[in-house]
Amino acid sequence: MSDETPNDTRDSNGRFVKRAAETAHRLHTPSEEGVHPMAKILFGWTENKRTGTLIFWGFAILSMVLIVADLAIPRHEYVEIAHATGFYALWGFASFAFVVLMGWPLGRLLRRKEDYYGEPGGPPADIDPDVPVEPSTEGTYVYEGDED
Amino acid sequence: MTGPLSMLNPGWLMIAVGLAALFLPMRRVRQGLTIATPIIAIILLALADQNVNHLGVQALGIDFIFYRVDGLSFIFGLAFLLAALLNAIYAWHTDDRLQDGMAMAYAGAAVAATFSGDMMSLFVFWELTAITSVFLILRAGTRAAYFASMRYLAIQILSGVLLLAGIAYVYHSRGDLSVQAFTSLKEPGAILVFIALGIKAAFPFLHNWLQDSYPKATVVGAVVLSAFTTKLAVYAFARMFPGHDALIWIGAVMTVFPVFFAVIENDLRKVLAYSLNNQVGFMICAIGLGATGVGDALALNGASAHAFCHIIYKGLLFMSMGAVMYRTGTTKASELGGLYKSMPWTTVFCIIGAMSISAFPLFSGFAAKSLTMSAVGHEGYTIVWLMLLFASAGVLEHSGIKIPYFAFFGHDSGKRVKEAPFNMLLAMGLAAFICIAVGIPAIVPGLGYEWLYNLLPYREEAMAYNPFTLDHVLTQMQLLVLAIFAFVMLKRLGWYPPEKPGVVLDTDWVYRKAGYGLFTWAGTIWQKAGPAMTAVFFKLTGRAYDRIEDTFSPRGELARGGLGSAMAIWTAILLGLVLLLAFITSS
Repeated sequence: MSDETPNDTRDSNGRFVKRAAETAHRLHTPSEEGVHPMAKILFGWTENKRTGTLIFWGFAILSMVLIVADLAIPRHEYVEIAHATGFYALWGFASFAFVVLMGWPLGRLLRRKEDYYGEPGGPPADIDPDVPVEPSTEGTYVYEGDED
Repeated sequence: MTGPLSMLNPGWLMIAVGLAALFLPMRRVRQGLTIATPIIAIILLALADQNVNHLGVQALGIDFIFYRVDGLSFIFGLAFLLAALLNAIYAWHTDDRLQDGMAMAYAGAAVAATFSGDMMSLFVFWELTAITSVFLILRAGTRAAYFASMRYLAIQILSGVLLLAGIAYVYHSRGDLSVQAFTSLKEPGAILVFIALGIKAAFPFLHNWLQDSYPKATVVGAVVLSAFTTKLAVYAFARMFPGHDALIWIGAVMTVFPVFFAVIENDLRKVLAYSLNNQVGFMICAIGLGATGVGDALALNGASAHAFCHIIYKGLLFMSMGAVMYRTGTTKASELGGLYKSMPWTTVFCIIGAMSISAFPLFSGFAAKSLTMSAVGHEGYTIVWLMLLFASAGVLEHSGIKIPYFAFFGHDSGKRVKEAPFNMLLAMGLAAFICIAVGIPAIVPGLGYEWLYNLLPYREEAMAYNPFTLDHVLTQMQLLVLAIFAFVMLKRLGWYPPEKPGVVLDTDWVYRKAGYGLFTWAGTIWQKAGPAMTAVFFKLTGRAYDRIEDTFSPRGELARGGLGSAMAIWTAILLGLVLLLAFITSS
């Protein structure tokens, strides 16, 4: 776009109508790779290689700060055990880690094949008609009454 | 407000419109109605006087109270109506008369039940929620959904039947059907009503209808379903069983056990269904505290506020997963990832829902859950309090991190789709707005969390409570930040279990596998045993008949040789027997 925009592209307030429209259009049109332009603006930072490390150390430092702050801030607690410094921090960390690590044995114990109860069933009927249809498994399962 | 409109239960209006919508072929007119009706209903509700019977009828010696509003029913009714409005906006892109009509009638039935003052009306609308909602699952059109909907219907109707049986006992002992609290579970009928409500609230071991059916419903259907049935049960518990100790422990168990299932579940809509279970546990626990003392008002306020916020943020999370389902055709974590690139707005709204349900300060869950946690701590239930705190970290795991991380970030699935339709984004945006609006501090008095607290059943006690004290924010942040740090660390170490496809066994195994197997086995046995037994029977009777015929028929033994020897002998023997009998009895 050249800077010598003809005057007729301005509205009564003097704004460049065409440019504004183009900006709006650009912000709503996915790129050729299918990436939404807002994705870069809102979450582009997550693609940086160092983000993972930064998040790790960021949360590590924040955790320390919160526990240290515990020493300075008087707390009003109903439950005796909660008076311990950093109790909530420890309980949160331990609970979370316990739940996640229990995922390993529980997964082995309880996970079965998807058709364990018979046909697993595909997506519901009201999905976007543009979604590419995957080869259906319907019909490979025989139910009572199917033969008539 | 006076006049005939003031007597109209908003739920009835919605049921009528919903039934009419079934026959309305003009798509936009029908959808306009489904959006306008909840708005009108909210206005009707706002204008209704509280603690007054607006419409009642006496028939068959029973006082039916069709429309009664008070503090408790107001907040639940309002949440239902807001959910109905958001759901109608969310469904704007569809063209489905049955789904539009049934979703509206379902919401209406829940609202009508909430404002019913007698148990018989409550029962009727209780059943109506089951009958209308089943179509939202059926409409998915898959065979798996068909079977799930039949299981769903059977269990929901069972709940209704138990409720009706309980009501019969209650009527017999009280002679009155008004909805009032049971003083003890030993009261006649109380235990039946308790189990009936427990089924709908998805108590542990009675919960699997929920995880079975919701993830198999339609995109819109799952969003609609998430709002009403379980929260209607929560309302009914708050009404009929406040302060029953059993609920404290049932609720605490309910918050804890779904956490483990949610971690290993691959289908993200099913993860949300487990998370729903966990959240309802918090409300049930608070209701159990209900009448034990000072915590009374705090706990019931906590349950009501939690229900209100939960209906909105859980709806929002289901909406975001619905949008993912709509565009990609799947919600399996193992097939998703990297969707923020194509659905950034959906990602933003999902994160807002996730932060609300995890109870981050400044989001709605914080303002609501604080009441319950304080009440539990206040009453000195240390173990329950620790369980709820554990469950809070669990919610952060499955709803706060797992849902957004595996759908929108994580390993890039390479799926590049369109952003969700505008109407879906609008509905999600409105829900996200409510999540933040009732979560922020009351900088302007009466707004922020105070707006919600103002609507709670125990208004004065609620307004005296301030969730934004320094120590409270600090402890909550400690819990959440350290839990997130645990996630980051486990991910970094590679200790986080990978998402794998598969079904996770739960208690529904008992009837879907063992029970079903038992019945199929019994059927096979019967197929063989039945004919065999028939054959034996016919053989025996046939033989007896043959003998009788051999003896008495015109060709038989007795007819042979005219009135000769055999007949005379037999007659003599018979006569002798009769004489003998007469002799024995007379002596």
